[in-house]
Amino acid sequence: MSRGRNRKGRGQNRPAAQGGQNQAAQNSVEHQGARPLESKDAEIADVALPDLIIDHQPEEFWQGEVDEKQLLLLMGDWRKGRTTRNIWQALSDGYVLLFSLAVVLAMLVSLIIQAQGQAATCSATGCRTARELLPWAALAGVLAFAMMAARIFGPVLASAAEGFWLLDSPINRSRVLVNRLWVAIAAAFVGGAAIGALMSALTGSSGQAIIAWTVATGFAACGVVAFAAAQQGAERVWTVKLVGGLAGLAGLCALLAVVGSASGWFHLEITTSVALQSAWGVAAGGVLLLIVSGVLARMRLNRIRRARLMSGGSLAAGMQGAAFALDFALMRDILQERDAVERGQVRPTRGRGLGLQTLVWRDVQRLIRFPRPLLALAVTAVVPYAVEALGMGRFSSTISALVLVAALIPFFTTLRVLSRTKGLMRCLPFTTSQVRTSASVVPGVLAGLWAIAVVPAFHGVGSASHTPWIQAVMLAVITAAAGYIGAIRWVSAKSADYSAPMVATQMGAMPPGLMFNLVRGLDMVALITIWIVLGLSPWISVVVAVIAYAILRMGGINQEELLEKQKEAQAEMARTRRGGSGGAGGSSGTKVVTRKRR
Amino acid sequence: MASPSPVLVVKDVTKSYGDHTVIKNLSFTVHAGEAVALTGRNGAGKSTVLRCVVGADRPTSGTVEVLGKPVSETSAEFRRNVATVIDDLDFFPDLSVVEHLDLLARAHGLAEADALVDEVLEEVQLVPQSGQLPGTLSTGQRRRLALATAFVRPRKLLVLDEPEARLDVEGIAWLGTRLREEMSHDLAILMASHEPSLLEALGARTVALGGQRG
Repeated sequence: MSRGRNRKGRGQNRPAAQGGQNQAAQNSVEHQGARPLESKDAEIADVALPDLIIDHQPEEFWQGEVDEKQLLLLMGDWRKGRTTRNIWQALSDGYVLLFSLAVVLAMLVSLIIQAQGQAATCSATGCRTARELLPWAALAGVLAFAMMAARIFGPVLASAAEGFWLLDSPINRSRVLVNRLWVAIAAAFVGGAAIGALMSALTGSSGQAIIAWTVATGFAACGVVAFAAAQQGAERVWTVKLVGGLAGLAGLCALLAVVGSASGWFHLEITTSVALQSAWGVAAGGVLLLIVSGVLARMRLNRIRRARLMSGGSLAAGMQGAAFALDFALMRDILQERDAVERGQVRPTRGRGLGLQTLVWRDVQRLIRFPRPLLALAVTAVVPYAVEALGMGRFSSTISALVLVAALIPFFTTLRVLSRTKGLMRCLPFTTSQVRTSASVVPGVLAGLWAIAVVPAFHGVGSASHTPWIQAVMLAVITAAAGYIGAIRWVSAKSADYSAPMVATQMGAMPPGLMFNLVRGLDMVALITIWIVLGLSPWISVVVAVIAYAILRMGGINQEELLEKQKEAQAEMARTRRGGSGGAGGSSGTKVVTRKRR
Repeated sequence: MASPSPVLVVKDVTKSYGDHTVIKNLSFTVHAGEAVALTGRNGAGKSTVLRCVVGADRPTSGTVEVLGKPVSETSAEFRRNVATVIDDLDFFPDLSVVEHLDLLARAHGLAEADALVDEVLEEVQLVPQSGQLPGTLSTGQRRRLALATAFVRPRKLLVLDEPEARLDVEGIAWLGTRLREEMSHDLAILMASHEPSLLEALGARTVALGGQRG
């Protein structure tokens, strides 16, 4: 009906439009009963006015009711209508990549089974305690992470387009958003269950225990996400922060209990049956929380503010873009920026020192202002003890260094910001290597302190076999260096260059450095600690670490710069050749060029 | 009377991206106490020239020299002498407005950093925002902060890419006065600008770019 009226309206106005645009505009506005144009408006109208036709009455829009389900199906159709390939075609195009992934996954599973077998044979008190306590630590870690992620993203979210076009319309929002809620809860279950299964398998638990911890961690994770969704509907953030903080604290206590028990500081005996019952108890608690919070969250879906939904959606979109480029550092930047915007303001402090010193002092002041990463770093010092307690000493350096990379990254803000764009770096009157060195001083000191704290773990405190102290110191330093260098590489590596020539793959064109983004930082850890895993001399690790640090300190190997220099050298040679060919003294130069040509 | 020595010499600079030539054989000099403005339509190559001058990009052919030495973005001496406010300026997410300026002043070895920072902060009208983190600033305020970074440090050449962008009328007037003052202290200025009032206020020599592309 409205379309018919619209056509009629246009027809009615057409003669006026032919007579002159201004007249048509005035007619159409007058038709709506608007106030007559004032003289100032009329002047503007003389310049240019579009053929404005407002022919609808407000009551026309109140016809029928929206079926949200049909609306969602329609959106699905639009999305599918734009695709050029279905999922199976995409997978068959990328079969080489899929095969590679399958091989890597098989290797990982084999490694886990091997480690599980090794850990299962260990019957020392430390091993037994670790076996029973580490799944608890993993559970607490998963809960803390799930709460944090749920708080940052929503967990219920909507894209900017949906926020503008859909949520503003007179629909029942909860019917549109309910699937988002279930997806968030299901994702939490899958992620939590996977980590629970992995951790219990790695600690050498029995099959029953693995199943129990898988179910427990999965349900607990989705329970807390449902809780966060219920709080989102009630506009409460502090409860989510509190539960997340308590979960983190519980994880820390569990890790400390593992270390204390393995080191013989106290005796903690948990029988397998008790541990199993506790796991099932956690699972039951998780289910209960899921049901209660799920119902509450479902009831409150209509109350979530549009801005809150879109905020999570825009963050997710940014993260998705960075994820497509496999740029995890950029993902962290986005989160850090979001955190800074939430914080908004700080109490300014005057700097100290001059020149390069001031960069170092700023990093110290950052530590005082944001001490939370220090706590995370302190917690990671427990990892070598836990790994040693599980009897996997050979992998201790690699695993601990990987964890240290993650713990050290927050201390490299200066290096990260100065590496990602050159603008700010250009403002500082230092060479690149000077800036990089200064920006790495504070994290370096922290890595050194970490190394001192973990020396007893490498010595074998609490276990039957002991490594000589000198070797333990060396291993601790190598591990800390691997984590430190890995973190430098992670924050300062260049992103994939989409302006450079692409590499043709079966998945489409890809920038050459894209796949390396996946392993950046981790490559340094592997390069430095592989020799220890293979049982070779730790001195090889020391030499590799020194070389890697020297290269990273210079800003890495800049292929573009090297190519430029090569071109410059070639141009210089060409100039020499041209100059040499005309003069008597140019014979030797000509000879060189001739040899080059061959 | 001898003319002042050139601070910036751009000679026969050509910049191409593949087959597409953006700048062809461009030459000009900027002396101490002089302002040169690059003008031209969007895409004429103004920002490209500025990027070549600050070393962020390399010309396909030709040379760019600052104070008699070829441009090298990574050289400490170059960074000490050239203050730049072009598009790729980033900020530390966890340092406040005043801390950014303080860091730069101290990094350049200014012993009296506090007084200078306070003065510049007042000048760019960011005193109320001094404790704010950059992520919370409006685009205009971010622009003012970017300009402020150039004024809290020693400099012999100032390179600005559309400094009037996102500034209000009052801000543009202030910028004109400030840059004129900079010129009176023998500072050389190279800028790309679309703002006639700013160019007029500076009495800037204009280099017009903008032949047909390709």
